[in-house]
Amino acid sequence: MNNFNSTNRERRFKAHVSALGTTQLHLRNPYIIAWWSAAFPGFGHLLLSKYLRGYALFLWEILVNNMANINLAMVYSFTGNIELAKEVLEPRWMLLYIPVYIYAIWDSYRTSVDMNKVFLLAEHENADFNSYTIGAVEVNYLDKRRPIMAIVWSLFTPGLGQLYIHRVLTAIFTMSFIIIFVYFSNLLVATHYLFLGEITQATQVLDPQWLLFIPSHVGFSIYDSYVNTVENNKLYESEQRKFLKEKYQQSRVKIPVTVDEVK
Amino acid sequence: MQIFSTFEHSSYLELAITALEKVGVKKENILAVPLVNRVEERRLFDTLHRADGISLFDKGAAIGTAFSVIGASVGFVLEWGPIFWGLIGAASGFVLGFMIDYIIYKVVHKRTRVVKGKKADVVLVVECPKDLVEKVEELLWEHLALGVAKVEG
Repeated sequence: MNNFNSTNRERRFKAHVSALGTTQLHLRNPYIIAWWSAAFPGFGHLLLSKYLRGYALFLWEILVNNMANINLAMVYSFTGNIELAKEVLEPRWMLLYIPVYIYAIWDSYRTSVDMNKVFLLAEHENADFNSYTIGAVEVNYLDKRRPIMAIVWSLFTPGLGQLYIHRVLTAIFTMSFIIIFVYFSNLLVATHYLFLGEITQATQVLDPQWLLFIPSHVGFSIYDSYVNTVENNKLYESEQRKFLKEKYQQSRVKIPVTVDEVK
Repeated sequence: MQIFSTFEHSSYLELAITALEKVGVKKENILAVPLVNRVEERRLFDTLHRADGISLFDKGAAIGTAFSVIGASVGFVLEWGPIFWGLIGAASGFVLGFMIDYIIYKVVHKRTRVVKGKKADVVLVVECPKDLVEKVEELLWEHLALGVAKVEG
């Protein structure tokens, strides 16, 4: 059950609260969004709440990167083993990588510029939007949450920060893939070796191809949950201001004066 | 009597208004004025009640991630291994990005006046008969009003 039905007179909405999450437009720096697409195709689009293309690009990245050994070649290149890098790159897959990678960056940049304009128009129109939903499986409403807690939980497990602010779609996706990355990269086994002080063994056990997915994944999860917590809080304030202005502004303050003071 | 109070934006404000209506204050006698607050000094991190639109977090997160990827890669041939170098990369990249934003917002776009402490977002004025005054004041305080004052009227 929702608290709002469109009257079809609105032109643009700036937000929508649904069982799966709070979707909202807000001003974004297009370069930052483009950067996240460069770090991992799909992340830019996930930040813009464009989940289907975000997922598509993300899955594409994992498939093609793994088949072409892009991450492995990056490790060899950064460590100066250019010959090894050339050797591991798989020619049957490698050139597939380039167009889609560039597209993800370009499209997320373009979309954020566009959506910033849409936001300014929607903000000016300030139409009512669905701000509360309750149903058999979920309750979602506008609320204020602590940005720092979103960071802390995302650091512990990427995706928990998103769960904290009810960004269910990103949370499920991020949490599923961190399991896959951690498992195939042997990250936790290496961590155990580090605790035992065996650094060489820790390095040996790591799989560089899978390990290199993790920094972007964690970074994205922290950034996405932090930014959206802040923006959700702002949305809450803006909705409350509108509510107060509409419902509680009939009364006027009369300055009390006594007869003596007037003279 | 008029009772003035100030609040931050939060659910407590709406709880306070509901509680007032429950004890018999009429809707027409409640005036809520959301303030446009002064642009304050840039803060390092946004908090529950403050967000200034420019986050000193953007570049830190971006550069931190980039350095972490490079650190983890190069770490395979360094003594400390990829995990430590990945973490070192992340931390140093974050600090670097943060410093860049910090310099841009604190030094280049310097803001002079500093507002510290809690700030009032909404002024709430309640017009009520004398016998309700005590109850209304108590309810306002209970729901985390920042300040409450009454004026004879």
